[in-house]
Amino acid sequence: MKTEKRSFLLSIFLNKDHRWAMIWVLGVAVLGIWDIMFLNKPALLRVTNGFINTIIICLLVVIFTLILSWGLTLGLHFFQYRKIRSGYIVLTFILNLVRSVPQIIGVLLSYVIIAALITRGWIGGAGVFVLMAFCMSVFIFMEMVDLMRERISHFTKLDFYNAMKVCGISEKRIINSDILWKNSRIHIFNKLISVFGSAVFLQCSVDFIISVGLSTGVNTVSMPVTLGSLLAKMDSKQDILAIGNTLFNPGYLPQLFMQHLQGLTVAFLIVFSLFCIYSISNGYAERHRL
Amino acid sequence: MKSKLTEHILGLIFVSIILLSVIFFFDFDSLQSSSPASSEAQLLSGVPITNVNDPFQQQLLQNVMDIYYPGHKDKNIKTVREIFRIREDQFNQKLQSSHVHEKLSLSKLLDLAGMYLKFLVIYVIVMVLTYYGVQTIAVWRFVSKKRLFEHRLAHEANPQKVPARKISRFLSSFFKVIAYMILFSPAYVIAYSIRTEFNTDSSIFMILLGLISNGLLVMYSNKFYAFLVAESRKGYVEAGLVKNLEYRYSFPKDRHGNPCGTIDWKSIVRPVKQFKCHIFDHIFRNAHYQYLSTIKEQASFLITGLIIIEMALNIHGYLNYEMLRQLLYKNYDIVLTIVLGIFYTVKFTEIITDFIVHRESLKYEN
Repeated sequence: MKTEKRSFLLSIFLNKDHRWAMIWVLGVAVLGIWDIMFLNKPALLRVTNGFINTIIICLLVVIFTLILSWGLTLGLHFFQYRKIRSGYIVLTFILNLVRSVPQIIGVLLSYVIIAALITRGWIGGAGVFVLMAFCMSVFIFMEMVDLMRERISHFTKLDFYNAMKVCGISEKRIINSDILWKNSRIHIFNKLISVFGSAVFLQCSVDFIISVGLSTGVNTVSMPVTLGSLLAKMDSKQDILAIGNTLFNPGYLPQLFMQHLQGLTVAFLIVFSLFCIYSISNGYAERHRL
Repeated sequence: MKSKLTEHILGLIFVSIILLSVIFFFDFDSLQSSSPASSEAQLLSGVPITNVNDPFQQQLLQNVMDIYYPGHKDKNIKTVREIFRIREDQFNQKLQSSHVHEKLSLSKLLDLAGMYLKFLVIYVIVMVLTYYGVQTIAVWRFVSKKRLFEHRLAHEANPQKVPARKISRFLSSFFKVIAYMILFSPAYVIAYSIRTEFNTDSSIFMILLGLISNGLLVMYSNKFYAFLVAESRKGYVEAGLVKNLEYRYSFPKDRHGNPCGTIDWKSIVRPVKQFKCHIFDHIFRNAHYQYLSTIKEQASFLITGLIIIEMALNIHGYLNYEMLRQLLYKNYDIVLTIVLGIFYTVKFTEIITDFIVHRESLKYEN
């Protein structure tokens, strides 16, 4: 019997991931309208730029993570498959070393190098975005490699793997097409959503730290404006400090949404985005029973 | 375990050799930026000049240049000017950075060791608290959902529609969203928003922030909850029921107050969780075994969180703030020493986790 196709609205109502994606878009849209009405134009432009830049860098991180992890998983698998022990050990060793460096340290040091490259005029424009995203993905992609290797190891134990090999299908095709694409793409996509969330968190944190702690050493003007660097600006920080004042003077609350809009908008965008991305990833995992 | 240990030790030795050789043998002064100058002026910038503002020395250098490079008067004047500019820049730079330029010495190393010890203490405390918090929240969530499900089943015949219940549900959802927003806030957002009213520079506040911020607790309790749900769907649960294990989550204590087979508050919040005579005991133990292998990842994320807190809040006297400060002053040997310390922390956590997982796996695997 042919099942009825769910309408768009029904899918939003029933599926947690769709619902949270819609909440994220609507939340950002409502905030945008509020800001258009009450936030001054230069600040609005800065916040919009910061948000768009953050999203672009994080999307690039997702793309690089996918490419890096897919490539390295294949590399590790073929070293193992062709019994090239030395290659396998060296690659695993390097991966484990990178894994042992806390992400924030790796990203911070690479951003300092990027800032130095910008100052010397060796890179600029879109190249900065690409390099920032690449550096971040180097410290994030290990989780994806683990997932892909887990999937490959699970499926190679099943009968279908041997059956396909007996039928003369190449190893490359079994791994790439049958295991990773046909049987694991939902898992991979779910992981990519988490990677996007991690990228937003790391991007904002590193930019905040650089802007607060290294502002005299690293020329932050040359780095793209992101939500993290916007939050570190003096006026944004004062806006956030006003929240503490409101806790003990509730009468100040209405002024918070009118006079301290830049800092509040940036902080809300960071927290709301992280929460929504987490909920989308969770909902997606629940829907596909991962 | 032997191969894993070998890999960890090799990693420790490899990174130690690389970083220590860079710290002790690399000339970090060559990385200091200098203003652009012609290669000739750069080459001659080492000529002995005691006072750059002395006209006699300027003229003397000019004459020497004219003797060595005759017929290039204009070029020589330009080169001499550049040499004096470079020397002046170098002098000013030295003067400006004299109070911030530090070298790795024994006293500095002792300073760093004190900060490192403080970092380790905070890290261990937060790690233990999150280890406990993750399990407790996940178990509480799992048991609450099961209880709600059992309650709904019991009252399905005559469902009562009470408006007050709707309001309470709405309020609980509202507070849940607020709680989630706080738990997902990066540490620096929470800290700055309460900085005017509270002292945010204490170790206790750091521990609290490490525990509740950056989404650490939510993410890993959710992971543990997912393990519990996956385990509760497995076949051995039905086998346990056949063997007469208790399966009801809202089952009260019997008349004699015998806790066997009941899941009460005490058993949920207890540090070492046991649910004797209940099928959940097996579900929990199997989920816990899977959770152990994620501790490495959790520890790494926690260290990232603590580094962010120390750096973003500019808390003086703490290891990672010191690293940021030294990075700013370009004292790279000190920065690398701190990085090495943090690397050792992560590696030792990995070794301990691998050892615990190995010991647990010996219990379950043949």
